[in-house]
Amino acid sequence: MSKTEKNPESIGTRLKTAEEATRAVEELLRQGVPRDCIEVQSSEPIHFSGAAAASHKKSWIWLFGIAGGIVGALAAVLLTVWTSRRVNLVTGGMPIASPWPLGVIVFEMTALGAILFSVVRMIFEARLGRRRSDDDEAALAEGDIVVRRV
Amino acid sequence: MERAQGGDIDTQLLEPVLKTGWPWFVTVFIAGLVFLGAIGAFGYQLYWGLGVWGIKRPVFWAFDITNFVFWIGISHAGTLISAILRVTGAEWRRPVTRCAEAITVFALMIGALFPIIHLGKPWLFYWLIPYPNVRGLWPNFRSPLAWDFFAINTYLLGSIIYLYLPLIPDLALLRDKSRGKRRRGVYALLSLGWRGTELQWDRLERAVRVMAVIIIPVAVSVHTIVSWDFAMAIRPMWHSTIFGPYFVAGAIFSGIAALILAMAVIRRVFHLEGYLRPVHFNNLGLLLVTMSLIWFYFTFAEYLTTWYGNQPEEMAVFLSKVTGSYAPLFWTMVAGCFLIPVPILAFKRSIKATVIASVAVVVGMYIERFLIIVPTLSHPRLSYNWSTYSPTWVEVMLTIGPFAYFVILYAVFVKLFPIIAVWEYKEGLRLEGRNLEIGSSAAATAD
Repeated sequence: MSKTEKNPESIGTRLKTAEEATRAVEELLRQGVPRDCIEVQSSEPIHFSGAAAASHKKSWIWLFGIAGGIVGALAAVLLTVWTSRRVNLVTGGMPIASPWPLGVIVFEMTALGAILFSVVRMIFEARLGRRRSDDDEAALAEGDIVVRRV
Repeated sequence: MERAQGGDIDTQLLEPVLKTGWPWFVTVFIAGLVFLGAIGAFGYQLYWGLGVWGIKRPVFWAFDITNFVFWIGISHAGTLISAILRVTGAEWRRPVTRCAEAITVFALMIGALFPIIHLGKPWLFYWLIPYPNVRGLWPNFRSPLAWDFFAINTYLLGSIIYLYLPLIPDLALLRDKSRGKRRRGVYALLSLGWRGTELQWDRLERAVRVMAVIIIPVAVSVHTIVSWDFAMAIRPMWHSTIFGPYFVAGAIFSGIAALILAMAVIRRVFHLEGYLRPVHFNNLGLLLVTMSLIWFYFTFAEYLTTWYGNQPEEMAVFLSKVTGSYAPLFWTMVAGCFLIPVPILAFKRSIKATVIASVAVVVGMYIERFLIIVPTLSHPRLSYNWSTYSPTWVEVMLTIGPFAYFVILYAVFVKLFPIIAVWEYKEGLRLEGRNLEIGSSAAATAD
């Protein structure tokens, strides 16, 4: 176990195994550090259990997916019905905006909306796309786990 | 075969990215020459027009649309199979998923080119896009071709995102391991500042799960809609209600075969024998034989219904395939899709056996796409209009070229990104209790 020297403000401890990381997190918890203030970085996902389990804020990715689907469906309805009506086709009494074919496009755009909204929400919730200032990237690339108090 | 031979897993999986051997250049060079030949043929076609193709009345769709259907089918290798394996929690998927997902993206990109090539004036392809243009022309939303536009683009975008999301942690790894400022900069940009925190892992896994659930119905819809390009026309042996599931089954079938072939090449060329192991080929071989049986069931149902109905227009097409001028192709298809792979895979699913079966399936399924399109078009309802079709060299080149293009795209992808998901693979080892040390240099134990 060795401590980083570059960033003394945040105590980053480099560990080799998930078990060591679990013990480190539990030790910090015993010292009274709230779980929210303990950050664990790793090059692969670690799922702590028991007291060491992470307490993330609730994720809204699913809900955004559903919202995106609704937005996509509405956009598809607007696109197809509006554009179909805009062209004065002679349809011999048949509906100009026929629901079955338009349903196919609504389905695809519903999925598209759900995909896009989910991904954007994921990027937001995971705090991606922000400038990173991490002194431990080399340690992570070597496979170490970094536990720090934030 | 031992799994991931000790040593440094990161190094082994990143080696194809960080080092370039001469076989890579030779492969890209040869594929590049073939692709240039196809570009030349395309240029020739642009100059002289579609008259340089073998299509003539009444066969207006032939190789080009066959290629379209074939490549869209191949695209089902990846995202759909990967998503199904993720949703069902199949742990053996881990080294396979990225190989598969990359196939989807490239096959879709290639498949989507063919309708544009078929336009004759490909520079007007944007007329397909619904936008308020000055001509007052709008895409006909009743047309299955307009549905194709929406379905393929949704699937392509979804597949790119589905490929990209699990790639982010590996891009961060490459960022941290690469040499050269420019290279590091590109990976840093693509990895979106990934830090590997618990929150990021949690959100990534959630998003991938959501994507997997959404992408499955999209993938099914894509090939269903491609089948409706045909089934919505009141043509003999096209106007069938089972065409949707028939096409989807065929797409998954040819997709698995393509995936097996790609994996066999990758493991040999990049020395990934410890990662893409016989168990993966065995499992994919089982899927392949299952799909072969399903394909035969659908084909038999389709042909039996036609034969039993005995309608003259339908029988003309039926007989041209089974006993007529297309019979050699038809029976080659049956052999390639059923008679060869089933006996092989029922008894032996070694790497060699699955590769042989996959070659037969890919050839058989290409012929199947051709046989769906051309015999029906060459036998319209009025027999005075019957005709035959044979391709010209331009069409042959435009068929071979995309295979070379696919090889180039795949080779470049393998050169830029790890073809096996590093973090997923290592996580799989740890979940199996094989690798208590998280570190990259942790040795994976032998089976």
